[in-house]
Amino acid sequence: MNLPTTVPQQSRGARIALAALAVLIAFTCTFSVPATALALDTSKTTAKTNSDSGADVLGGKETRVTWEGQAAEGEELSGLSLTFPAGTQFGVDDARVTLLKDGGSERVAVLKNAKITKEGQTIKATFDVSSYKGAGDFYRLEVYEVVFPVAGGDQQLTGTYTLASGQTRDMDIPVISVVETTLPEQIAGAIESTDWYKAWCENKFLKLFLNPALIVRSIPVVFHGFLMALAIVLCAFPCAIPLGLILALMRMSKLAVLRGIGSVYVNVVRGTPLFLQIYVAFFGLPLAGINVPNFPLGVIVLFMNSAAYLCEIFRAGIQSIPKGQNEAARSLGMNAAQTMIFVIIPQTVRRVIPTMTSEFILLYKDTSLLAAVGIMEVVQYSKSIVASTGSITPYIVAALFYLVITLPLAKFVGNLEAKLANTDGGSAPAKKKRANKKDSVVANGEIESSVAIADGEAAMGIPMTQKGGK
Amino acid sequence: MKKKLIAIAAAALMVVALAGCSSSSSSSASASASASASASAATEMKLVTPGTITVGTSPDYPPFENLEGNDIVGFEVDLVNAVAGKLGVKVEYKAMNFDSIIAAVEAGTQIDLGMSGFTITPERAKTIDFTTSFYTDDLGIATMNNGAFTSEDALAADGVRIAVQSGTTGESAMKENYPKAEVTSYTSSNDIFAALSAGKADAACTNISVVNAMLTESYNDCSVIKKISSGEDYGLVVAKGNPVLTQKINAALADLEKDGTIANLLAKWNL
Repeated sequence: MNLPTTVPQQSRGARIALAALAVLIAFTCTFSVPATALALDTSKTTAKTNSDSGADVLGGKETRVTWEGQAAEGEELSGLSLTFPAGTQFGVDDARVTLLKDGGSERVAVLKNAKITKEGQTIKATFDVSSYKGAGDFYRLEVYEVVFPVAGGDQQLTGTYTLASGQTRDMDIPVISVVETTLPEQIAGAIESTDWYKAWCENKFLKLFLNPALIVRSIPVVFHGFLMALAIVLCAFPCAIPLGLILALMRMSKLAVLRGIGSVYVNVVRGTPLFLQIYVAFFGLPLAGINVPNFPLGVIVLFMNSAAYLCEIFRAGIQSIPKGQNEAARSLGMNAAQTMIFVIIPQTVRRVIPTMTSEFILLYKDTSLLAAVGIMEVVQYSKSIVASTGSITPYIVAALFYLVITLPLAKFVGNLEAKLANTDGGSAPAKKKRANKKDSVVANGEIESSVAIADGEAAMGIPMTQKGGK
Repeated sequence: MKKKLIAIAAAALMVVALAGCSSSSSSSASASASASASASAATEMKLVTPGTITVGTSPDYPPFENLEGNDIVGFEVDLVNAVAGKLGVKVEYKAMNFDSIIAAVEAGTQIDLGMSGFTITPERAKTIDFTTSFYTDDLGIATMNNGAFTSEDALAADGVRIAVQSGTTGESAMKENYPKAEVTSYTSSNDIFAALSAGKADAACTNISVVNAMLTESYNDCSVIKKISSGEDYGLVVAKGNPVLTQKINAALADLEKDGTIANLLAKWNL
């Protein structure tokens, strides 16, 4: 997180100043002790992020260290060395030295003739840039296969540079902050070093889909996304319920205007892919001057989408209540609103709970679509590991994080349906109809249950098949 | 080094040519699955569809590959077509997400070759093989002209939102160089520019040639505020279990380099 980075920001002014300083010091030095001029200014020393989330550099895991330095005007280097702290490993095979100019924005050449050797904890590069005739004044040394100690901490590298004239001087290098290896990372490392792991990976399928080391590594990372997905759906769904109910009432309203608005909204939202709605909201709305931060915007898009589906669920639920209920309530002196609030809706609730739960499951799965617009949820986190490792395993871990929620909920829906069927006696439809006729006037909850199941199933079937196209 | 590679590739070609005379290509596919990487042991390149090289690509990376109408066009497309011409096979392109291409190549059941401006890195080389490089690219950071981030100094600030393409070298470079920034990854390079112009990101970073192509084609209200000469060598991606294909492609690339085809194609695509 807090790498001490001085990004190469050599403005022209700074370089001129540096050159002037060098000239000045060189001038004074002609009369005094040997040169102490700083002919090279380290611009940055950084290590590549090697954690699967965030920008941390972890110990005990391979990274790449990049050193960059700006030479004073007219100075040419012939050698560089970097000494790593004890306990750090590094490789020299892929290491390379690059000569650049303009503060590192233009490359002159990769110094293919550089001789790179390893002496204890020191990597040494010697090269000759005379053939470039001063075209470059900015140097970069990249060291691969660097593994910092597992315990992490601030790593102080030391280094020297050798001028073409043969003088060798020390350079100042900022510390590299290394984070202690996480427990999953340690476990994964231990798994990777075992023989059975190697045998396991001989099988391409097991390696790509069920890589045990990657499972261990992915779980804590994807867990962040799991929390994000849960947060989104737990914010969106409660908002979708009232909007869905309002839409349902609008669609059943006597006023044609309200009916029209409700129908258009529901049909447009259900008739277009959610993915498209997300794109329009995230990339289109800001162009129209409406700027909402990512998280609330994600919640808004999902709840507005879900409301259209809930509207149809509620409408089916409300319309499944027999007319007699309405007539009975009205004959008792209730007005239309009272009838709806105290008689119809309470009966609707238990009928629509199974379907609503299904809608919740669908909405939870749909949070994955937000990955495309940069919201860090389950799929986005697993995607980043897939991209860096080339294994599908993190997607399997992601699937587990969806199942953790969806399986218990599916079980809950199943139980609920069974319970509703039981309260009704669970017998043949013909019998139910007779019972229904017998007590049709009485507002008896047990009787409507039979209708509820039939309607509940119908309501569940319709939105679900339509949603399949999302 | 290069000469040696060419020699090995040429040797492999001869072996293949000899073997091709006697055996059918499909039956030996499973037999050679465990073939060692040495050129002498492996005799044939494996292709998902015999006679056709199937290439996985993410066509959102102009000028290397992008969609024009229904066709995938670009520098790499022309290059791979030329390579296939040398190998005497047909080419079929499959559009897929950038971050799934390496996995697909490794699995080896759908595509033979990955082509999407892949930077050759030692990390990636652990899971798949790269062909020799045919282009060296750098990174570029673009911002909106009318935004608050028109100089690179502003990028070092806390919480700057930088849009990158998931799994790219630009992503890791931004995390390394701007540790205080909020690096957000998107699926395609189109999306990172969409995010930039929609104000969802303060800066967008990807390879400079792509940034330049994007800016000239559709985002002329953005400009490049920083170029990082990262020196990324582009290569094509081949499965580790298919060394013969790698060698053949390398030989073809060497030929194309020699006869000036690559230079012509680079000029054609303004690279």
